[in-house]
Amino acid sequence: MGQLMNTDPVSDPIAELNLKILKLERRLQRERTARLQAEAIAEKGLSDLYEKQRQLELLKAIATKANQSASVDDALRFAVEAICGHTGWQIGNVYMLAGDDAQCLLSTPIWHADDPDRLTEFVAMTQRMKFERGHGLPGRVLDTGAAVRICDVTQDPDFQRGDAAKACDLHAAFAFPVLVGDEVLAVMEFFSRSSLEPDEPLLAVMGQIGTHLGRVMERKRAEDKLIYDASHDPLTGLPNRLLFTDRLDRAVGAHKRRPELGFAVLFIDLDRFKLVNDSLGHAAGDALLIEIAGRLSAVLAQAEKAEGCGVLPTLARLGGDEFTILLEELTSGSTAIEIAERLQAALRRPLTIEGQDVYTSASIGIASSDAGYSSAAEIMRDADLAMYRAKSEGRARIEVFDQSLHKAAMRRLSLESDLRGALRKQEFVLYYQPIVALDGGDIVGFEALVRWRRGSEQLVPPAEFIALAEETGLIVFIGNWVMREAFATLAAWQTAHPRSVPLTMSVNVSPRQFRQPDFVEQVIAAVKESGARPDTIRLEITEGVTIQDADQAIGILQQLRAFGVRVSIDDFGTGYSSLSYLHQLPFDTLKIDRSFVNALQEKSDGNRIIQTILDLAKNLKMDVVAEGAETEHHVDQLRKMGCRFAQGYYFSRPVDYAAATALLRQP
Amino acid sequence: MKGVVFNLLEEAVLREFGPETWEDLLDDADVSGAYTSLGNYSDDEIVALVEAAAAKLGMTNGEVLRWFGERAMPLLRERYPALFANHSSARSFILSVNNIIHPEVRKLYSGASCPFFHFRESGRTVTMGYESSRKMCDLAHGFVKGAATIFCEEVDIVHHTCMNQGADKCVMEMQWAN
Repeated sequence: MGQLMNTDPVSDPIAELNLKILKLERRLQRERTARLQAEAIAEKGLSDLYEKQRQLELLKAIATKANQSASVDDALRFAVEAICGHTGWQIGNVYMLAGDDAQCLLSTPIWHADDPDRLTEFVAMTQRMKFERGHGLPGRVLDTGAAVRICDVTQDPDFQRGDAAKACDLHAAFAFPVLVGDEVLAVMEFFSRSSLEPDEPLLAVMGQIGTHLGRVMERKRAEDKLIYDASHDPLTGLPNRLLFTDRLDRAVGAHKRRPELGFAVLFIDLDRFKLVNDSLGHAAGDALLIEIAGRLSAVLAQAEKAEGCGVLPTLARLGGDEFTILLEELTSGSTAIEIAERLQAALRRPLTIEGQDVYTSASIGIASSDAGYSSAAEIMRDADLAMYRAKSEGRARIEVFDQSLHKAAMRRLSLESDLRGALRKQEFVLYYQPIVALDGGDIVGFEALVRWRRGSEQLVPPAEFIALAEETGLIVFIGNWVMREAFATLAAWQTAHPRSVPLTMSVNVSPRQFRQPDFVEQVIAAVKESGARPDTIRLEITEGVTIQDADQAIGILQQLRAFGVRVSIDDFGTGYSSLSYLHQLPFDTLKIDRSFVNALQEKSDGNRIIQTILDLAKNLKMDVVAEGAETEHHVDQLRKMGCRFAQGYYFSRPVDYAAATALLRQP
Repeated sequence: MKGVVFNLLEEAVLREFGPETWEDLLDDADVSGAYTSLGNYSDDEIVALVEAAAAKLGMTNGEVLRWFGERAMPLLRERYPALFANHSSARSFILSVNNIIHPEVRKLYSGASCPFFHFRESGRTVTMGYESSRKMCDLAHGFVKGAATIFCEEVDIVHHTCMNQGADKCVMEMQWAN
């Protein structure tokens, strides 16, 4: 070295070359190191990129599946499998919330294992698991809403499946939530034989997968809610007409395949529901419907559980106070009737609505598969008809459809069609029944009663067409015609038979007619047109008409009286009117219903009721006319009790114009 | 062939015979010699290098490949320690080639055409089937030997059939001592 130091490097070409080579080798080494570093960096970049790409592919595959899946289960199953495939984790499974309270997770049949035979024990145990919020791996995810990783589950005291995991050689675990916003809807759990290194990018991907799946679940929830809302009655939560008809269609189809299993449809109409709605208000009506739905459901739930003869019931609310029930898997023809009786019994107990006891009852119509229906519409129609029959036969009844009902319905249809033509064809005629002063026996007036001369010579009594006319609205036109005709007759009689106290004419006003906005104008026009004196006109109105809107009724009655016509309360005692507002209603005359008069001879109760009504009328300064006086005994009794006027067969049945005129001519 | 294989060969030659030998081999084989691990080069170049080495060292091509495989294994461990980390024996390491090592290779070198090995285990014996147009069963042989050395094991390898001998695939039997 000492020699070298003394040698002039510049002057020694060999040393100079050696130095150069040394420098070149060092440079080469640097270049080589730089190349290896560059390669390492590039390799790391490529490796990361590759991972990233695979994660994106995983995410894309799951997102695509999530958008296309017909069901939540499909999307979750696909995701579990794809994640296992991507990560090489041995097993994955899904937990869902049990019930609506979000406090507990239940294992689902959605799981995937790369080698199920080796993992049988662990899968079986997992399938039985249930986790409370905060406990176990899934419970912790539910509680925190965040992913949880366990390095070795066989060493984790909070991990309940440690032994099974050990037996299947599973160690690392990872679980993350399926989220909508902050809400955990499900938890996905994975296990691996080898250890899981913390992997931030992978964690982020799992988070995104959780969000995607959350959207699927949310979408399904919204879908379910839409379908539920479209097929259920919002008030009671019962199936609505759409769902009911759908189930009925299926029942009709099933019956064709298995005729030994029958079904029946019950049509239920609440008697007096309208009264509750009108008197206590809509909120009370709604409360009543909910309460009734509950009672009907309870009866049906019992029938469903009944030993040996369990039926499959569907209770629906079609609207208003109309409920329907489909009973399937009926083995006996009488089951439907028995259930209907139990339903009625359940409604017999009073319902407490807004602190008041409300009594209701149900008219039930039944149609059963025995009649061999081929469509839901047919059986609905017949059950409906049976219900109408039950209602018209006196409420709280059960009526089973038979062919006679169908014939009756057909008759009704033809009746309606003829009724529409009757006015045009001038087929209505008025009959008149005299009202007689019991003191002296003079005719003081007439009640005009409409009859229908249908076709050639058939005379249809009002009982057979008035209800139909009321329902169809034709009553408004018929009522108007009656008023004009009756008032004209009255004017003619008053001219021909002048008296010190002029003759009166009573005309019945139907509920629908009374509710016409221009009812008062129609009356005034009819009176003016006829030339009769307004104060000789009596408009007879039933109690029920005034009850729906008492204030409005009072207003109309006052307008009528201001014009001069008098108003009578018809069929007194048979409706639901409350004495509390009877005195508010400005009636002039009270008509005692024929049922009380008929009871006169049977028992003394009848007497007492009539006496009470007479006293009431006297106190309210109203005149009284007793209807249905048929015998001398009736007339004597009424006279004795102080009743001043009566009408009935004892004096005369309703007669036509000529006969009535003849009665007037009698001395 | 991936550049990394050329790099490994270069490294092995440098360590055992020095840089001049590598330079000579490059000249003899008439190849460029500029290889980056991420690059992709013609299989002919590796064949030419192997042939040049055989000529220079007085070995057969097969012997050169076995030598290379054996020497390459510790180099691979220096370069990719993670691939070895989870194994406690050469056998489990070798059996992971299809499922772990080659997938890792594909991560780095997209489009790498890695061979597939068929393994059959029976006691202390593992039979390995190999089928590749490159016919480099001897390289695989060397790799196995090298792996055994890393895990301080001894393994005997017998070639039952060989593509270099006209068979349609190679079947090697590896038998571990003890």
